[in-house]
Amino acid sequence: MQASFREGAREGFRVALPQSIGLIPWALVTGVAMVTAGFTPLQAMGMNVIVFAGVAQLGTLPLIVAGAPPWLIITTALVLNLRFLIFSAAIARGFRDIGAGVRWLSSYLLIDGVFAACLEKMLTEEDRHWRLGYYLAPSVWSWLLWQIFALTGVLAAGAIPRSWSIEFMATIALIVILLPMAKFRPMLVAAATGGSLAVLLHGMPLRLGVIVAIIGGIGAGFLAEHWQTKRAPA
Amino acid sequence: MNYDDSLWLIFLLIGLATTLPRASFILLGSRVALPPFVQRALRYAPAAALAAIVVPDVVLVAGSLQPFNPKLAAAVAAVAVALRWRNPWLPFIAGMAVLLAQRFGLGW
Repeated sequence: MQASFREGAREGFRVALPQSIGLIPWALVTGVAMVTAGFTPLQAMGMNVIVFAGVAQLGTLPLIVAGAPPWLIITTALVLNLRFLIFSAAIARGFRDIGAGVRWLSSYLLIDGVFAACLEKMLTEEDRHWRLGYYLAPSVWSWLLWQIFALTGVLAAGAIPRSWSIEFMATIALIVILLPMAKFRPMLVAAATGGSLAVLLHGMPLRLGVIVAIIGGIGAGFLAEHWQTKRAPA
Repeated sequence: MNYDDSLWLIFLLIGLATTLPRASFILLGSRVALPPFVQRALRYAPAAALAAIVVPDVVLVAGSLQPFNPKLAAAVAAVAVALRWRNPWLPFIAGMAVLLAQRFGLGW
């Protein structure tokens, strides 16, 4: 292992450590939510390792519980993960001169917090060993935290009576993820449109209403942004 | 509730739906770029999707619109606490406290 890799790893770990602590409540809640959805501990941890994305896991759980058709579950997961397309495009140059196998591993490990903390240095640092250490150390650390505390949630949930309705923690988790997004006016329009359409269209067969609501929400947000920038030219 | 083997297939497909967007440009390199208007539209996808999942869950009871229900009150408490304080645990504590107070305290 290169000395510069270890140096980058130390630096990346230090930079991303504070935000990684924020993963703990999410991992616990996700663990609890998977068990209250009816998964066995093995199934819950299987999903946790295979998917490794809190928003996609919490967001698809209600659909899985409701017995929604697989294509709807997959489409919803894809929509919730579209932000990763943007992250991936933004950070891509940071992986120049790095092999395909390591790029796959790095892709699987890509999460919001590490992306935000490490993006800038990934793009500007010349030494590829340093860059890789800088990205992989906090990513692997976050992965470990996520697995350990999800497992804690899985084991704890089994000990809590059903009548406490702790599955509602998953709904609270999604609300708390949504809130900071809605501070930006067009984003609020997108969320309000998506939410209202989903309520109005909940009677549609195959829960098609969810997909129509999401598409409507994206369109409404895009239009709201367009009008906002037209009215107030910078 | 019990699930069969098809659940693992669903996990794998959700995993693909997560890893492929992450891998897209990291694997392609920076030779390919997203058009700016696509990037702008994509930013709204998570907010629209999360709202489409959460809102029906808190305002519908057994398939019909019911604005006064324990879940909505609990959700409102969680939102209020999250907007007021930065603490990551408080929304969960407040939301669950309001939900359970109604369930056990008031028998709703």
